Amino acid sequence: MMGWGCRLRCCGRHGAALAGLRGPPSGRGGGGWSGAAGGGRAAAAGKICCPFLRPLVFRDSVSAPLWAPSRLLYSSGAACCYSKTNSETKYKDPFKLGSRDLKNLYEDIKKELLMTTQELQEMCEYYFDGKGKALRPMLVVLMARACNIHYNNCREVQPAQRSIAVIAEMIHTASLVHDDVIDGSDSRRGKKTVSRIWGERKAVLAGDYILSAASVALARIGNATVISALCQVIEDLVRGEFLQLGSKENENERFAHYLEKTFKKTASLIANSCKAVSILSCPDPAVHEIAYQYGKNIGIAFQLIDDVLDFTSCAAQLGKPTAADLKLGLATGPVLFACQQSDGVHQTTYLAQRYCSEAIREISKLQPSPERDALIQLTEAVLTRDK
Amino acid sequence: MALMKCVMWPLGVFRLGTTVFCSKRELSLFPGSPTNIQWSKVVSDAEKIVGYPTSFMSLRCLLSDELSNIAMQVRKLVGTKHPLLNTARAFVYDSRNNLQMRSLVVLLISKAAGPSKSADDTVQHDMVSGIHASQRNLAEITELIHTAFLVHRGIVNIEELKSCDGPVKDMQFGNKMAILSGDFLLANACTGLAQLQNTKVVELVSSAIGDLVQGIYYENSYLPEKNAFTDDIGISNWMEHIFLSHGALLAKSCQAAMELANHDPEVQSMAYQYGKHMSLSYKLNSDLQPFMNGKYCGTSFSLNCAPVVLHQDVIGREAWMEQVKQAQLKGNLVDLAKLQEAVNAGKGVTAAIDLCRYHGNKALENLHCFPPSKARSALENMVYTVTRFP
Repeated sequence: MMGWGCRLRCCGRHGAALAGLRGPPSGRGGGGWSGAAGGGRAAAAGKICCPFLRPLVFRDSVSAPLWAPSRLLYSSGAACCYSKTNSETKYKDPFKLGSRDLKNLYEDIKKELLMTTQELQEMCEYYFDGKGKALRPMLVVLMARACNIHYNNCREVQPAQRSIAVIAEMIHTASLVHDDVIDGSDSRRGKKTVSRIWGERKAVLAGDYILSAASVALARIGNATVISALCQVIEDLVRGEFLQLGSKENENERFAHYLEKTFKKTASLIANSCKAVSILSCPDPAVHEIAYQYGKNIGIAFQLIDDVLDFTSCAAQLGKPTAADLKLGLATGPVLFACQQSDGVHQTTYLAQRYCSEAIREISKLQPSPERDALIQLTEAVLTRDK
Repeated sequence: MALMKCVMWPLGVFRLGTTVFCSKRELSLFPGSPTNIQWSKVVSDAEKIVGYPTSFMSLRCLLSDELSNIAMQVRKLVGTKHPLLNTARAFVYDSRNNLQMRSLVVLLISKAAGPSKSADDTVQHDMVSGIHASQRNLAEITELIHTAFLVHRGIVNIEELKSCDGPVKDMQFGNKMAILSGDFLLANACTGLAQLQNTKVVELVSSAIGDLVQGIYYENSYLPEKNAFTDDIGISNWMEHIFLSHGALLAKSCQAAMELANHDPEVQSMAYQYGKHMSLSYKLNSDLQPFMNGKYCGTSFSLNCAPVVLHQDVIGREAWMEQVKQAQLKGNLVDLAKLQEAVNAGKGVTAAIDLCRYHGNKALENLHCFPPSKARSALENMVYTVTRFP
């Protein structure tokens, strides 16, 4: 009755991968996924333009509380409006394009964290060890270049745009440090959490310090609109954490609640930092909206897949204990779907695909450029990663 | 028994070695503020000068779904020993009585400075009682940040809990609530800052948050973990740390208030200096309170408060450790009355009073550039009150 039938056709590789579930469930936050995307890229590359993916108009999906899976499925598909990717210039690795800009990312972050208290600095730098996947900075610099090319055919990333990459990673990490204390986590990215090593009290301070250093760097950019965009992220992160506390009785509401939480906890940072670099790039509000929508959609897709992985992969792959979210009683997509029907993992993956195709639809409105195509490829990488 | 009362550092239990030697968890979030009648009068007079007290930012926070959620949850902590409970209690109690010190100073200095020479009429139309709306918002943001850190100061290290602290589960829950509510207040402060649309102010106040974190970090590191009652930090380091934890936020907020009204750098610097020296003087005054009667009156004090640090500076580390040793009782308890007697007999108390007055004078000097006004007098009166000793 719900019309989930089409998902099998669309799921392609994910369906296959997820059908053969890899033993006990696991957590998120893996230690690098650029490699992981490799295997599926060839298969996924063709699929992303696949006409029956039927991109939907998701523009207001998150903010509308009524939004529920059933409604999603009944929405009619809008026509694919993006121009085709330059298939001849497929990049072996979409990360490569941005990696030049991110070369000294962690050194630059550490510069922002300089202070006299050695131990506190050590704690703040703990996660900036170069072992994270730096997805957010990557998206940010690629978006910066794509917008710059779109606006005045300049490929270079401006220093202020580069700072947004630094700040996005810092805000993300600050929230991780606090989340780990809230959830009582023992390990992240294959190592002990800050709170486990230095205690909760200091860990919370370290998170606060990283956030304040990020705000100082943000203020130095000197653009009030950019500041507002990223302050929105900080507020969303906290509100998302609050949403995680409560759940809804009603099934439909529960799903909308989950998606709202997903937006606030993950997608808002990506959406608003993409928007921030677009603001620094060009004055056209339409471009800002494209950047924001791309970031929002890929961000939600990323988190949906994250929740699937929490459910399906094994601990060794991720560096976080298995089914961590489930143990914490957090209702994630797969769990919610599993309550409704038997096949939560497939449905969540399918939903993530829908968000990705919407991200592609948005970004395709920009002038073609290798960076734009890399952003399109990144949506595939988000879907096909396995850790 | 007054004798047995333990030494406390705000929000922390003073432990020696591995044994808890304090069963009573006490909280002094608003530690020893000069709660005497003069102070209350100075504050309530000053409140009248700045007009309506708030910009409703904290009201909006208090009425938000998130905080009412927290309030519901905090009720579950009743009966546990989590510090958040006391923080919440102190917050409600304190805000009912007085406008908080920081926001009051920011409002007063805004009013004392008046409109800048460069300001045109369009900027002045949003002034109420001589204070810009943006400055009122800033005052509130300052208070939000201060409160956020009162809450984050009260995070408990789960591994260090002892059986007398009650179930671990309760403490974990309390931590969760404390992190969330502190983060919520900080996030609101950030949003409020962004709305001020002044990047210099955002930078100033954000850096003050960083200072505050470092200051609190030092404060925590005084918690004696290595079988020592006190640190040997010396008064100059102590002042530096205290500036970070107790002065930087107010100093930078005062400066930011000037920036919001387009005052030139000299005026900004004066405001900064007033905020800085006023906070230091205030902190020294509150540290001195337990020592004012000449004899122990049951008020616990930290062994890292100004009079003790100064006392230690004067007599030397070894002599001080000897005094601590003599005051030690069975079971790792310390006889505070005896220690206080030792401190009172030395020069620590008078040195602290001198220091308090020194910073008070510095604060007053920086007010001279402002034209005489009721607001300026109120700022002066605050200094007179904290530097007055019997």
